[in-house]
Amino acid sequence: MRISMPILAAVAAAMAFASPADAAPKRVKVTGEIIDTWCQVTGIMYGLGTAHHQCAVWCATGGIPVGIWGDDEKAYVLLKIDADSNTVANPKIVEIQTNRVTVDGDLYERDGVNYLVVTKVLSNEGIVNLTHKEHGIQPFGE
Amino acid sequence: MHISTLARPVAVLAAAVLALGLARGALAAESWGLPEEKEVTFKAKVVDMLCELTGDCPASCGAGKHQLALKTADGKLVLPAKNVVPFAGTVNELIGFCGKEIFVDGLMTTSKGTTLFALQNFRTKESDPWTEASVFLADWAKANNVKPDSEKAEEWFRNDPHVQAIIAKQGKLGVKE
Repeated sequence: MRISMPILAAVAAAMAFASPADAAPKRVKVTGEIIDTWCQVTGIMYGLGTAHHQCAVWCATGGIPVGIWGDDEKAYVLLKIDADSNTVANPKIVEIQTNRVTVDGDLYERDGVNYLVVTKVLSNEGIVNLTHKEHGIQPFGE
Repeated sequence: MHISTLARPVAVLAAAVLALGLARGALAAESWGLPEEKEVTFKAKVVDMLCELTGDCPASCGAGKHQLALKTADGKLVLPAKNVVPFAGTVNELIGFCGKEIFVDGLMTTSKGTTLFALQNFRTKESDPWTEASVFLADWAKANNVKPDSEKAEEWFRNDPHVQAIIAKQGKLGVKE
């Protein structure tokens, strides 16, 4: 089949103007801490480790998006873990707040947010980021 | 940004109180002092974020189990991460509008390479009065047989039975001291 130049040009133009939304996901491996995205991203309080664990449990139970704060210092919002797409106040996810994990998944970068569809949790080291001695219990001290 | 409560106690606590929605205000976007904060009002369709990105589209936007997004007319997906109730997200506010367009009012904030939206008010018609984004609290109070303005509901995060069970098991720090 022969493809004419105008058609090729149209395809090229369409590709040039394609939004990131049309891009295929990237396969990635992410290592980091399970976080409450709101507190950690906005920095309204210290949002990592044991100092923030109770608050992370509150926020995850309240339905605030849960994510991973990667070792690359980027936030990844979780949309699915293994076959479980329940990411709103899911007790299984609430229970692993603050855990350090390594996951494989599909990364979708869209309008200022990294979204992660985790296909496999490769490891879970538990809670290893002991920040409470420096930062107390966030945000109320108790 | 690492903020020590010892270093800047008053300012940090005030910012946290505002940003967590502990302060209720007038029905128009109200500053919480967030990073790169912008007060915004816009029209958007309520959609299932997982569906939009992957094509995994269960009925009713996941029936409250999927994170929701606000899709603008130009195709942008906004992540509504926070409502005005302390420590609560926006699924309770938005799930009833799955697939429908609504008007939303709140704060866009960008920090650490991520842009999030704090939903403060919403309405279905431009001519309607705003509804405060506190549906979560009413739903929680109903589910726990208390009044929304009760002390128990005000500190829902300490009184929630699921939270209490996890904190009893793991401790406030998540580890044994």
